[in-house]
Amino acid sequence: MIQDRSWAGAGRWLLSAVVALAAGLLLAETLVAQAYVPPDYGADFPVIGSRAAVWIVAQVHLMFAAFVLGVPMFAVIAEAIALFGGEDRYDRLAKEFTRLLLVAYSATALLGGLFVFLLTTLYPALWSYLSEVFRISMWMYAGIFFAESATLYMYYYGWDQWKKGRAKLGHWGLGLLLNVWGTIALLIANSWLTFMMSPPGDLTPDTSPATVQFWSAFANATWMPINVHRLIANAVFGGAIVAAYAAYRFLKAKSDEERAHYDWMGYVGNMIAIGVFLVLPFAGYYLGREIYEFNQQMGVTMMGGFMSWLWIIQAFLIGVLFLAGNYYLWIGLGRIPGGERFAPYTKWMLLVLVVGVIVWATPHTMIADRAELAAMGGTFHPFLQPLGVMSAKNTAVNLMILTTFLSFLLYRRANKNPTVSWARTGTLSQGIVLLVCALVVLFYGIAGYFVPAIVRIGFSVYQVLAVLFTIIAVLVLDILIARGAESRGDIRWGRMPPRSQYALFVLVVTFTWLMGLMGFARSGIRQHWHVYEIVQDTSAYAATPALGYAAQIISASVVIFFLMLAFVFWIGGMIAKPALVPAAADAAAAEPVPGGSPGRSGSGADRGGGLEPGLEPLPGT
Amino acid sequence: MGAVDLKVGGVVFGTILVFTLVANAIPQVQSDVPELIAFGAEVTAEELVAAGEGLFEGAGGCIACHAESAGARGPNLVTDYQGEGTIGQRCGDRIPGLDCKEYLYQSLTLPVDHLVDDYPPIMPALDRTMNPQQVWAVVAFLQSLGGEVTVTGADIPTEDAAGDAGGGLAAAGIPGVAGSDPVEIVNQECALCHLFAGGGIELGPPLDGLGARMTADEIRISILEPGAGVSEGYEELLGAMPATFGDRFTATQLESVVSYLSGLE
Ligand code: HEC
Ligand code: HEC
Ligand code: HEM
Repeated sequence: MIQDRSWAGAGRWLLSAVVALAAGLLLAETLVAQAYVPPDYGADFPVIGSRAAVWIVAQVHLMFAAFVLGVPMFAVIAEAIALFGGEDRYDRLAKEFTRLLLVAYSATALLGGLFVFLLTTLYPALWSYLSEVFRISMWMYAGIFFAESATLYMYYYGWDQWKKGRAKLGHWGLGLLLNVWGTIALLIANSWLTFMMSPPGDLTPDTSPATVQFWSAFANATWMPINVHRLIANAVFGGAIVAAYAAYRFLKAKSDEERAHYDWMGYVGNMIAIGVFLVLPFAGYYLGREIYEFNQQMGVTMMGGFMSWLWIIQAFLIGVLFLAGNYYLWIGLGRIPGGERFAPYTKWMLLVLVVGVIVWATPHTMIADRAELAAMGGTFHPFLQPLGVMSAKNTAVNLMILTTFLSFLLYRRANKNPTVSWARTGTLSQGIVLLVCALVVLFYGIAGYFVPAIVRIGFSVYQVLAVLFTIIAVLVLDILIARGAESRGDIRWGRMPPRSQYALFVLVVTFTWLMGLMGFARSGIRQHWHVYEIVQDTSAYAATPALGYAAQIISASVVIFFLMLAFVFWIGGMIAKPALVPAAADAAAAEPVPGGSPGRSGSGADRGGGLEPGLEPLPGT
Repeated sequence: MGAVDLKVGGVVFGTILVFTLVANAIPQVQSDVPELIAFGAEVTAEELVAAGEGLFEGAGGCIACHAESAGARGPNLVTDYQGEGTIGQRCGDRIPGLDCKEYLYQSLTLPVDHLVDDYPPIMPALDRTMNPQQVWAVVAFLQSLGGEVTVTGADIPTEDAAGDAGGGLAAAGIPGVAGSDPVEIVNQECALCHLFAGGGIELGPPLDGLGARMTADEIRISILEPGAGVSEGYEELLGAMPATFGDRFTATQLESVVSYLSGLE
């Protein structure tokens, strides 16, 4: 185990930061707390009531659906790296995950069936209304499920059959097809729930659902933004689950080979999760804008009405994600020869992240009703109001993104000794670009206070563009600088302290919980409407519950999901023994270059047993 | 289960627990359903204003845009807007030819037709979410802010089933409930099991004189959640009354039945 001082130091920093954050939130709570008596939710479904029953089943179904959508994305990318880059271990990785999909698939379908059953029995009127509008697509959806299962079976069971040449290419095509089916299923299901949120404007409560134009209901105002946001989120989710699975295996590993393999797998999963995660905020703002565009009142309810606290919790969760992801990367530097050079920077990066989270989590407009206003002391937060406005938040999140990107850069550079003649200048220019970008972001953030709202919104676009440009430019420079670089030694896969792995669990749990929370946001903004302003919820559960209650339901869903997932992984382990341990030994035996490795960094002795230890971050991150 | 499993479980559950606690530590705000109100022709100005105030400050969602602070999305209604006074003072001078009452009604139901200068057309049309009685109550409340309340029972249409919010269901051909007359509804839907007005079947407690035994709220709960409480002497029949009325009634139907039954002394 690595016991470098500075890493333990980073851990302590992180711990105190998290404690400080929690304490701050609790303090804020006592300042604004008010008496609240949770409503008594009655029961037509035993004990928990109809709404909670439908809610939990729908949410757990959605989590599984996200899993079976996210993991195939991951699998085809991994297989492609193996296929086109010749790195065999990625192929084994892809297969290991496809095996888990088999069982997860049945779980998804089962939960889907249960969900429909509950809807038809507990909310029959709503169900009839929706099936009247969407009959065609509901049948298509069921059909897709069959096609998808068939493809999945062929994909998995054909793995060893179609191994070489054209056949392998065809096999990869099956993986692509799997993703196509999954995406179509997502598009269809999203049309139902977005229709409930933003039905076409020409609909009135008296329109007969049979006469609703299918396409206008299908491609409604929030459909595309939700598609984009969810698709991205599901890729992150897939990566996070892969990482957690690997972390578990790592902790349980018996041999160094195994540890090395699962360390690497966890690294790849985390890389995908965090890398894709960075674009999620942009997709989120796009979605938010479309909601406002559709109906101002809905937007206001969402951001400033009874849900305003939800966004503070969201910021808290995202803060935890940023911290956990970066923490894992920083500890990971310890397994890279040369990584210790960068250790001193991490505490400054931590500082930026923590300040960023705090700014982001600062309440902005908090309006629910007069009583709450009085309790809060005005529309704006009493002390923190200047930090709470949008420009501060955008600035914070952009700086957090830049910081996380910097973590990646350090990671990439750690074991390289650039040899190109302009390496110094190159690195310097990278630094300058990053610095200038941070200044640009800060400048617009501060200038945002002095301009009207409409101009300010334009500023946030400049900030985003600056960050995107910087990420691309700096990455390109980095790739050029790294050409022909000498290695300071290979990554010592497997030499990670166990606490790093727990960060991956925090990451996946937080992300899953975030999904549940946002699902509540999406359906909560409809308030007492099943279909916004068209079909009213006249059941006993029409009032939209407060966050405390919602959190309990979300937590219940997350717990159920993880218990089921553990079961899936356990079964998956029984279908076939993880191919990796023996395969690793085989691979070592079959390696033509004794002790060496065909790693693309092209140097260094193979210390990780049969597993090739080259550092090669995934393309596209 | 080894030490690793326990630790992993601890981290997972611990994280979930922290999130749950944090979400329960913040102020808890629930979003209520706008109260449905039914007025007769003899409604007083005070009743209208009180109902309108409740909607304005609560479920109507007006404060989200019409806050009294600077920089709100919509013009200040309660104290002053650009020296023109409160909304009750300025409403009569807005559009030549429209008196205060007409102006307010129109700016609530057709907000884009009379935009206040320099404001974007973002105000939602109120009659999409409220029935005419609620809209008129809001008008009365706005008038009461510095002006004279001229809304009376005569402005309010009695036959409002058409503008009813739950109508989408009935249009779906779902076994909804027909009609808007409470007596008719009770005869059709409830007399199957309850004695009522000289007819009906004696399974559940008689509905005659119900108002003397139960408040409107209790009746509403008995209809929406029959399982929630049992009537004395009918313990064995608990669960016999269908729990689906909440889903089958439109909101207006429900409220008219409730207010009818609670009026039976
Ligand atoms: C999404 C924001 C929004 C909400 C919610 C909203 N309004 Fe408005 N309202 C506006 C804006 C903007 C204007 C000015 C433009 C216009 O006249 O439509 C306005 C104008 C008005 C006016 C005319 C004011 C004048 O000076 O002549 C009245 C009256 C009014 N609103 C009442 C209400 C009531 C009552 C509610 C709640 C049921 C409400 N509004 C909800 C945004 C909103
Ligand atoms: C299928 C039979 C059935 C139908 C239809 C039915 N009820 Fe009931 N109802 C019962 C029974 C049995 C009870 C007593 C057991 C209980 O409290 O659940 C009851 C209890 C009640 C009570 C509580 C009375 C008390 O004294 O505590 C009310 C109020 C009520 N029903 C109203 C209605 C209304 C209004 C309708 C029509 C919309 C209706 N019921 C339709 C069977 C029925
Ligand atoms: C800033 C970073 C953001 C992150 C990391 C994030 C993350 C997520 C995640 C993980 C989901 C669940 C997706 C799924 O279930 O497949 C989600 C859904 C959602 N997000 Fe975001 N989001 C962000 C920003 C935003 C913003 C700014 C808004 C709106 C203003 C927003 C609105 C929503 C809504 C309404 C959903 C519900 C979709 C659903 O589950 O039906 N998000 N988000």
